[in-house]
Parts: sequence; C-alpha cells; structure tokens
Amino acid sequence: MLPELAFDKLGADLLLAMCEGHGNVGPIVISKGEKMAKVRTDVPYQLVTILTNIYPFIGQKKLALLCRRCDEKALAELEKRGLVDEKRVLRIGLACSADQIKACRCSDPVPSVVHIGAPGKPAGEDELMNKLLAMPSEERLKFWTAQFRKCNKCFACTLNCPVCFCDDCVLEERTFVAEKGIPPGMSFHLIRTFHLSDKCVECGECERSCPAGIPLLTLRKMAAKDMKALYGFVSGDKKKVSPLLTTLEGEPMEDECHEC
Amino acid sequence: MTEFEPTILAFCCNWCSYAGADLAGVSRLQMPPNVHIVRVMCSASVKPEYAIKAISQGIDGVLVLGCHIGDCHYMTGNHRTAKRFPVVQKLLEDVGIDKTRLRLDWVSAAEGEKFQKVVTEFVEDVKRLGPNPLKEVRF
Repeated sequence: MLPELAFDKLGADLLLAMCEGHGNVGPIVISKGEKMAKVRTDVPYQLVTILTNIYPFIGQKKLALLCRRCDEKALAELEKRGLVDEKRVLRIGLACSADQIKACRCSDPVPSVVHIGAPGKPAGEDELMNKLLAMPSEERLKFWTAQFRKCNKCFACTLNCPVCFCDDCVLEERTFVAEKGIPPGMSFHLIRTFHLSDKCVECGECERSCPAGIPLLTLRKMAAKDMKALYGFVSGDKKKVSPLLTTLEGEPMEDECHEC
Repeated sequence: MTEFEPTILAFCCNWCSYAGADLAGVSRLQMPPNVHIVRVMCSASVKPEYAIKAISQGIDGVLVLGCHIGDCHYMTGNHRTAKRFPVVQKLLEDVGIDKTRLRLDWVSAAEGEKFQKVVTEFVEDVKRLGPNPLKEVRF
C-alpha cells in the first residue's frame, strides 16, 4: 500500500521511512522496485534529520518522506533557508496517534494531507510549563539548575534535531562552551534554546533522545511561547525570513544578510 | 558588612555609545565604578551568546548600548539588536533569572548625561536585585 502510494501515485524514486530490520527499527531508504521491509508508523522519529544528511547525495531524484505535522514544519523551515527544494521532497502525510500526541503535548498534530492514520485531537497545554511559570523565579531556577546538572554534553539533542543544520555549530565553539567540564552549565542550554527559538518545530526529539531525561521540550515550548508573544512568530509558517534577522519595515528581503 | 557591589559588563558600540561614554568621562560626570566597558563595532555584533555566557558565569548585569534607532552606522545593526535581546530576556525569565539583569538601551555620541543616567539607574536596579544567583551555583 505504501510503495504504490509513494512510487506510483506520487511518482517518487526513493522512499524514506521507519522500517524493521536486523531486529530493530530504523530509518531506511528504499528505491523504486526494491523489496520492502515492514514499515512502522508508530515509532516517533524525525525523518527530516536523515533527509538533510542524505539530500546532497540523491542527485535529481525525488524522495517521498513519511511526514508528520512536525516534519512538515521542519521542511518548511528548511525550504525557507533554501536548503531543500520543495519539488524534490514528496510528503506522505502521517497523522499521529493519540498516545503520541499526548507524549509530545502537541497542539498542532494534523498534517495538511493525511494519507495514513486518523487525525487526532490536539493536546492541551504543557502542564510542566504552566506549573513552572506559576512558581516564583527562585524555585524555577532551582528546578532548571537541577535538571541541567544531569546533562553530560552528549550532543544527542543537537544530532537528532531536524532543524539543526548549521555547518559550524555554535555549541562547538570553545568561546561559548568550554572543551572540558561536564555538566556544561546553564549557558549550553540557554544558547541552544536561543538558537532554535526562530525555527524549533516542537517535535520533542531532543527530549526523547536525551539520555539524562531533561525536559527539553518544555524549555522549547517556553521559547516558542515567547516568540509568539513578541513577534507573532510560529515556526513552519509562510514568512520568508526569521523575525530575529528582519530588515527595516518595507525594505525588500533581498537586502537581508543571512550570515549573521 | 559592606554593601553589595555588582559587577556589570557593558557592551558599547564604537560609533555612538562608546563616544557617549567618552563624553561622560570628559565632562567629569559622576558614575558608579562597577561597569566594565567592552568596545564593539556595533551593538549587533554583540551576539546574545555573549550576554548569556556572562550571566551564566556569574556577572550581575549586562548592559548593551547602541546608537538610537535610525542612527546606526551600519544602517540596520541596531534593528537586529532590538529584535534579539528581548528574546534573550524572556528566556532568562523562563529559567528563573530576573530579566532586568540584561538591559538594552540607546545612547548617542552627544548624550554623555544619558550614559550617566543609564549606568546609575542600572547599577541601582542590580543592587536591588542582589548578587546573581548563578554565581553560587556549581555545575
């Protein structure tokens, strides 16, 4: 069913999906006509992360991608920055299950086109976030320092992030994060949150992949709330330029410098 | 017991605020001596990472000063600064650090008195807040 959809109906050359293999589940690329392993749609993973890695090597081929709403938003952010060509990435809409929506505290779970699964209801607000924001600031600081102390600087949050695409990561600059020293301290997490504030799609991959179990998704949701309050920015929207880089009102966007 | 004296880091842009600070000095205006000035070419060249790092390493307050909106030597530099730093302030608030520890203001080359006012006010504000809680935190 999925191969027909991807190769015949959408006209793709390659399909990227989570498949079973070697007794495990992982992202697998299947070319047209190849024998297909069992596709799993219940495993949460951001396939866009894999897409940005293999994109330079697929040439002019078209790739179909099993795409949740958060993948879609991440793709929109990549397209905005000219990293991915919209016409070469075909989406197979995948609606998340109710359990998955609950785990991500997702407020926007339904992709624009649903091919697989039934559209679920959006979850309510992040309870931990509301609990933290109601606390006095000293207690909030105590909570976050206790959490950040667990960090062992494994960079799993960065490596698995669908919107981390800089060539030179700011977190690998020794000016900002010392080479030695674990845990890396408050600045590591704050700098990462600031860097993602204009592109984070709240997929929750950082939180899922964190071996220390730091509630990173809650931190991202806080930043997203701030960006919405300040600039009305929601990641994955149609605006062509990040609100943090914008030029003077009414000036053409071509004048924009994308370096800084 | 001596009164708490905050350590404050000020980033001043070369074209306006640094000249403003210079004017304040030449005019012999009295200011608290807690401020350490770093001269940068433009307020937009102050990466928010610098402010974040300074605060997480225990600096009591960070002051970012640039040219007035519309007067930037590089045309749009301070527009960028004006958009970035409110986000950092919000993030600091989210993790439980008072956002008044980071202040963004505009001082032109002719405003020695304003420089004095901003510095005096900021030092007063930070004194009222007390030492940076992260100074005591050992990661």
